[in-house]
Amino acid sequence: MKAKLIMNPNPMTLRPTDTVATAAERILKHHLRHLPVIDEQGRYLGTFSVYSLLKLTLPKAVLDEHGLDNVSFVTESLDDLAQRLGGRRDEPVKNWLNVHEVAHPDTLAMKIMLLMLEGRTTSVPVVDKTDGRLEGIISFWDVLEKLIGENK
Amino acid sequence: MHGSSEVASVGSMWLAAILFVITYGVVMSEKVNRAVVALVAAGLMIILGILNQEAAIRGIDFNTIGLLIGMMVIVAITRQSGIFQFLAIWAAKKVDARPWGILVMISLVTAVTSAFLDNVTTVLLVVPVTLLITEELKVKPYPYLFAMIFASNIGGTATLIGDPPNIMIGSATGLTFNDFAYHLTPAILVVLAVTLIPIYFIWGRHLKATPEDRQRVMQFNEFEAITNWRLLKQCLTVIGLVVAGFVFAHSLKLEAATVAMTGAAVLLLLANFGKGPDDQSKHVLEAFNEVEWITIFFFVGLFIVVHGVDSTGLLKLLAEKMVAMTGGNLTATAMIILWSSAILSAIIDNIPFVATMIPLIKAMAPTFGGEHGLLPLWWALSLGACLGGNGTLVGASANLVVAGFAERAGQPIRFLQYTLVAFPIMLLSILISTFYLYWRYL
Repeated sequence: MKAKLIMNPNPMTLRPTDTVATAAERILKHHLRHLPVIDEQGRYLGTFSVYSLLKLTLPKAVLDEHGLDNVSFVTESLDDLAQRLGGRRDEPVKNWLNVHEVAHPDTLAMKIMLLMLEGRTTSVPVVDKTDGRLEGIISFWDVLEKLIGENK
Repeated sequence: MHGSSEVASVGSMWLAAILFVITYGVVMSEKVNRAVVALVAAGLMIILGILNQEAAIRGIDFNTIGLLIGMMVIVAITRQSGIFQFLAIWAAKKVDARPWGILVMISLVTAVTSAFLDNVTTVLLVVPVTLLITEELKVKPYPYLFAMIFASNIGGTATLIGDPPNIMIGSATGLTFNDFAYHLTPAILVVLAVTLIPIYFIWGRHLKATPEDRQRVMQFNEFEAITNWRLLKQCLTVIGLVVAGFVFAHSLKLEAATVAMTGAAVLLLLANFGKGPDDQSKHVLEAFNEVEWITIFFFVGLFIVVHGVDSTGLLKLLAEKMVAMTGGNLTATAMIILWSSAILSAIIDNIPFVATMIPLIKAMAPTFGGEHGLLPLWWALSLGACLGGNGTLVGASANLVVAGFAERAGQPIRFLQYTLVAFPIMLLSILISTFYLYWRYL
């Protein structure tokens, strides 16, 4: 089965200039984990996710891959963390994107599952091979429904 | 390094000189990994018949290699204990998390640590905590990172084991840990203190943090930074013994590499005691993987290349020319070595430079009344080559590591912007060294 038959062709998206506050509101309201971000031509730029929100609550210094491997000495309260997130609410989402590996409309099911497993993500953007436009998004739930549906 | 006993023709002198210049050129271009360049050049030295394999191996200073590897293994194990984060946080809290106080304390921690451990490792471990602290205080990290670059290179100059140039000089001359402490540490204390003055006037006096932000740093629990108390105790014991070993090495008739390598072996033994065989293999391999093999093989190749050039009598010839230029005047020679080392080390890697200068200075012994008369020249070389590294961002590897962190933290250190402030401050440190050498030795 190909990606275009599994994907949700009308996912909720963000623009790069949308604020962190807007993104957070949508994530909370719709209980989404991943919001693809597209430019004016509809091209996929990256994904703003619940992990982006987690990063936004942490000091930049602890996110550096060569940085601190132990942060248990930092005694910040929940208020401190909330304050940091609050202070960044008006930043554009484009600073906080993850660029996931993408699938194409004719990518096969097994490859898509492997992308989820290896990318530690529950959603794979489906992108047109030639112009990079976002065609849809495949969530873990889309795959699972198809799987169980076919095995019945 | 050994004397130039091999007989050489003018032809091989030219060949060696050309190979040497090309090697340096390619190393400076940074187009090919420096270890690879040095090893290829070393191979050519032998294949072209300038050295035979036996002579090439004699050229490798295994005391330097052993000392470097031993200390790298000790650091690789010690860093896992969290002691470096502990020190940085403890230092910050000692000054009530006042921004300028923290800058001074972090500089001191960096300098003292760099004096005993590799500079790159030191900044690799202290920069992340510093970035966290500046972020909590909402102050710009730039002045802190700038001060840390200086502190690591200045601190490294203070001891025999602080910086590769000192390790090489000590190994080639037989100058001991105590010699370095007695002759260089006093100058370094002054240089470190004076360096902080311009940093204060340029940035320090403008650093401000609110009481609430400072409070957040004061609430850090530095004891939580220690991840393994048992390992920490083992590491501190071994480091204490190794330093004691360096201090008494001369009276015990031990070379520095023996002390460092034995220390590393004992620490590997302690840290893995009672673990299963698979677990042991894993941990020992991890520690060995942390050794900077690129640096080690760069040294190996370089020692052979320099020995090749030395064996043709070229460096002796250059030494004679330099002595003739200064009319055999010790003061003038020391000053030329100090200032040219500083300026060159700001631009090129100081390791190949010092590797070349050592046989060159040794060849001057007859002019200045034997080995002992060379003493001021060795201190001039060390001060110039180590402190010169502060002059530009590419002057020392630690500078580039700090710049990498700054870049990723979104606060890049620009080459020109850094040089404009750093180069004059570096020259100031050389000026202090000039007075120091003049007052004490010349």
